[in-house]
Amino acid sequence: MTQQRTHRTLLGIAAAAVLIATACAPSGGPSASSTTTTQETPVAGGRVIRGSFSDIRVLNPVISTDATSSQVISLMYDTLLNVDAKTGNPVPWLGKWTVSSDNLTYSWEIDAKANWSDGKPIIAEDYLARAKAVARSKLTTQKSSWNDVEGFNDYRDGKATSISGITIDSANPKKFTVKFGKSFCPALINVFGIAPIPAHVFGKYTVDNDPSKNIDTAPENAAPTAVSGPFKFKEWRKGDQVILSRNDGYWRGAPYLDEFVQKVVADSTVQAAQLKTGELTLGAIQPGDYDDLSKSDNLKLYEWKDNGYVYIGWRLNNPNVPALQDKRVRQALAYGLDMSQVVQSVVLGHGEKQIYHTPSVSWASPGTAGFQAYNFDATKAEQLIKDAGYTKGSDGFYAKDGKTLGWTIVTNQGNKTRETFLQVAAEQYKKIGVKINPKVEDFTTLVPKLTSGSNEIETIIIGWQLGTDPDPFSIWHSSNIATAAQAGNNFVGYNNPDVDKLIEQGRGPNCGQDVRKTAYAQMNKILNEDQPYNFGFSQNRILATDKRIRGIEPGSFSPDATWNVEKWWIKQ
Amino acid sequence: MATVARADVVPATVASRRASAGLWTNAWYSLRRDRLTMGAAALLLLLAASAIAAPLFAQYVFHTSFEEQDLLHIYAKPTFDPPAYMLGADEIGRSQVVRLLYGGQVSLFIGFVAALMNLTLGVGLGLLAGYVRGAVDDLITWFITTLNSIPIIFLLLLITSLFQPGALTLTLIIGVLFWTGVTNFVRGQTFALREREFITAARTIGAATPRILMRHILPNVLPLIFVLAAIDIGSIILAESALSYLGLGVLPPTPSWGNMLSNAQSYATRAPWLVVAPGAMIFLTVLCLYLIGDGLRDALDPRLKAS
Amino acid sequence: MRKYIIRRVLYAIPTLLGISVIVFAISRLAPGDPVRLYTFGATNITEEDIAALRHFYGLDQPLPIQYVTWLMNMLRGDFGKSLQYNQPAFALLMERLPATLQLAVLALVLQVGIGVPLGVIAALNRGGWVDNAVRFFGVVGHAIPQFWIGLLLIVLFAVNLHWLPSQGLLTIGKDVWDIPDRLKHILLPAFVLALAGVANYSRYLRTETLDVIAQDYVRTARAKGLRERTVVYVHALRNALIPVVTALGGILAALVSGALIVEQVFTWPGVGQLTYAAVRGKDYPLIMAGVMFASTMLVISYLLRDLAYARVDPRIKV
Repeated sequence: MTQQRTHRTLLGIAAAAVLIATACAPSGGPSASSTTTTQETPVAGGRVIRGSFSDIRVLNPVISTDATSSQVISLMYDTLLNVDAKTGNPVPWLGKWTVSSDNLTYSWEIDAKANWSDGKPIIAEDYLARAKAVARSKLTTQKSSWNDVEGFNDYRDGKATSISGITIDSANPKKFTVKFGKSFCPALINVFGIAPIPAHVFGKYTVDNDPSKNIDTAPENAAPTAVSGPFKFKEWRKGDQVILSRNDGYWRGAPYLDEFVQKVVADSTVQAAQLKTGELTLGAIQPGDYDDLSKSDNLKLYEWKDNGYVYIGWRLNNPNVPALQDKRVRQALAYGLDMSQVVQSVVLGHGEKQIYHTPSVSWASPGTAGFQAYNFDATKAEQLIKDAGYTKGSDGFYAKDGKTLGWTIVTNQGNKTRETFLQVAAEQYKKIGVKINPKVEDFTTLVPKLTSGSNEIETIIIGWQLGTDPDPFSIWHSSNIATAAQAGNNFVGYNNPDVDKLIEQGRGPNCGQDVRKTAYAQMNKILNEDQPYNFGFSQNRILATDKRIRGIEPGSFSPDATWNVEKWWIKQ
Repeated sequence: MATVARADVVPATVASRRASAGLWTNAWYSLRRDRLTMGAAALLLLLAASAIAAPLFAQYVFHTSFEEQDLLHIYAKPTFDPPAYMLGADEIGRSQVVRLLYGGQVSLFIGFVAALMNLTLGVGLGLLAGYVRGAVDDLITWFITTLNSIPIIFLLLLITSLFQPGALTLTLIIGVLFWTGVTNFVRGQTFALREREFITAARTIGAATPRILMRHILPNVLPLIFVLAAIDIGSIILAESALSYLGLGVLPPTPSWGNMLSNAQSYATRAPWLVVAPGAMIFLTVLCLYLIGDGLRDALDPRLKAS
Repeated sequence: MRKYIIRRVLYAIPTLLGISVIVFAISRLAPGDPVRLYTFGATNITEEDIAALRHFYGLDQPLPIQYVTWLMNMLRGDFGKSLQYNQPAFALLMERLPATLQLAVLALVLQVGIGVPLGVIAALNRGGWVDNAVRFFGVVGHAIPQFWIGLLLIVLFAVNLHWLPSQGLLTIGKDVWDIPDRLKHILLPAFVLALAGVANYSRYLRTETLDVIAQDYVRTARAKGLRERTVVYVHALRNALIPVVTALGGILAALVSGALIVEQVFTWPGVGQLTYAAVRGKDYPLIMAGVMFASTMLVISYLLRDLAYARVDPRIKV
């Protein structure tokens, strides 16, 4: 009903990177998106049936750790602030805020219209309930996002019975302030881009003076009773489907759809088949199915650029592969891989080459001018290898001191894009004289090795699904290098003090977008030159929908396009 | 019921068979007249030969290798020009027919070697249990019952998660797990045989146990071991392909019929011809083996004949 | 008879115990860490968080202690909480059981309903084309890989012909009691599950019927002037069916524990699929619950089958 064009994002995922290594492809950036024809008037009714490759695990944003659950949770729980789907800029949503001049105190006021589905108003208590629930839960992975909120760590450790940094206005229950110990730019998204939980439902589980009590076993985690989003919980048939029904009391106006169903499908083949027959009416599809599904006259396809990429990570701190420590070798590996052919054959043209970390859809992206493009040049690649001191042997491979130039590249099993990328890369590297051994490994054994920096991994092909804030701290800062003692997302062991400083600059204290953008541009310049990854390609998101569904407007910062799901309707 | 059936054959009573020179001649005679079995054997030999000769085929007939990619011809439809694309090409342009032949190498290797391990283990333990009896027999029987009571697919799933998947580990795992049917059978036979007069006679003249086992009992048991072997190899190939399909067996890029099928499933709508060939190969091979097993059983013991 | 039953049941207990030890040991010895797995990708997670989670799940105890804890809890009916869903493992299994049972029962009906008549007809028309077809199919039915035939059938019936749905229990929006819709969904998976059994029973019935036809009392009945068909159906079928009928319980239990691949191919939300996902996802409590359940079913099926044979075969001392 409101004409306001505000946007929504995935919940429960902190600002920096979230890694998705399972079958689904990451999402894409804003390209030509379809618009609703102005002649048609929306009507209420109908349901959307979305396919998903795994079942949800839990329906509470505090303890959800998997993307599938988060997708469904975002339909039921609205966040305090949201993110513009096309630009990624934070916009007010459940509430609006002002910030003090020292960037340390945020004052919030929740929208007067904001109500839970059971009629009760959404108040500051609900936001506080979320903070407290995270602090005391044993299953959550979000605690460190709140580190800089004053008093949070004390409450977490049971040393305090309240969080001193969060104060609720005694005159207006919808107003509150949050005080930070230090200025931290990603905090806006981390701490405010999340959903309040109903204090009148969950408040009883977290007991202030008893740190052992928490929400972890609450039955409402699997069957929410009060929600703030466009849909409310109806039924969860485990292993099969989750059914959500319209929230008539949705504070932004009731959605048109009667129901939103998420159904488990075995794999992309089955999903494509069901999209064609109409058993499913919405699904993220692989580039391989694009041509086939575009021929179906009951389907409409949307494609947009993703806020993420698939890359080859060169281990810089693995003593088994000293060759990778030489920048010339890494640059040779960039020149020696024909990425445009890869994009053509692996994602069939539905993607774009990446030459540094920040994807092109982000506001922090510095464009291509002034960066090395690493266009395919096999001669240059081999020259660089020779400069690094290698000579070509009679077997066609380069060698130095009797050791052949070659190692193993591994990727996780089950993701066709990565498996194909692996095969193609291995083949092309063999042609320039580098003996690559491609290996596919089960995800569950790969993950512990990755996060602990095991030397069994010499090079990894995997992807990043990035968050809305461009801060790459967990991926590129040297304090996050994955080791056996300390898990981290800096899998390749990149340690560059200049990059560290630039990242720290981007995190504060000056949070102006221009200042941060400059810092990230310089960081990307160094990464582009250093090539700790071959930055691979960004794979577009492709959504197949029943063509009767109207209102879908994709954007890179809404990976499943549901940012405006309350506006969707089905033409009868 | 379960895809992966172990070789649980109803024990045949061979009480009155003598290990005479006539057995094999008789068997061969009736086998030769059994067209179905001979046909199956011929087909199997052909499959095995082409698998073994895969490198030769790759080089001289198809002029390509099993890993050679051609990104310009992905998902090529089956065509005779070039001959390498006789059965089409997969998602990176590799020749399906060449991969099928190499896949045969992997599947047949696992089948035969694991079966060999099964039979060795099974015959050994069966002879021991059936002849020595007592506590040894009880232990072996208990172990067999326990092993049999875990659905085989779960057992395989659990154990393969212990190791790096690959053709060799899979062979070892299956080799060490599928012996229970053979043991049961051999045990039953040994049980019955040890009461026979010629065994008692041997014992009386002081023959040592190993000698009795090897020279008297084993030859009587051997003929039907061949039947078990054929069925066993078939079950193993089915098990390997099921595991590879689930992603736990032989992993790409090494081709195996099972993982080629699992690979093809992702592209079933785009290139359906990729689905038919690997599955058909598994089916044909296993079918031949089962038919040979049946035929052997009919030839070696007329009393078991179905008609 | 009673002593035999008691002995067999008692014998099953150390078997189940042994199974639990084996499954526990294997699932824990496998490399991989579920805590790291389920927190993967969460940014800013610290080692303390991981250690706290591990302690929470009791995974930091020495393995024998963990096993004993599991055993003690299991005896009280508590199979622990699934690591993925954070809900009681046993309850999760029971939720999925009806789906698998339905599949197994229908498969059983198909197996016996198709296999038995086929076998009898083949025996009656010995040498004819039905006979040859049945004999051939008897072998073929075992050789077909379940996942391959499942896939082919899906491509044929669901994708190309649109006659049947490709997976799941029922169409979205339809009522759980909508029988025609349920039947459409269950037909393909039940058929694939029943294939090997159809092959078995048709061969078995064929052999048995042939044997019975040659028996004396059949000749007597024929001499009395009864039509051959009546003779066969009444006498042969009855005798041949006894072992099949008495073993039905066992067969059903075996089907329940062995439906994993079919459930995977057709995304049938049953216990097999749940256990498989648990094994792949290193969800220890669910693995133990699921595999122990399947093994118990199998043990029960062996027990029932042995009891059935004991009743039928007078040679077995009871």
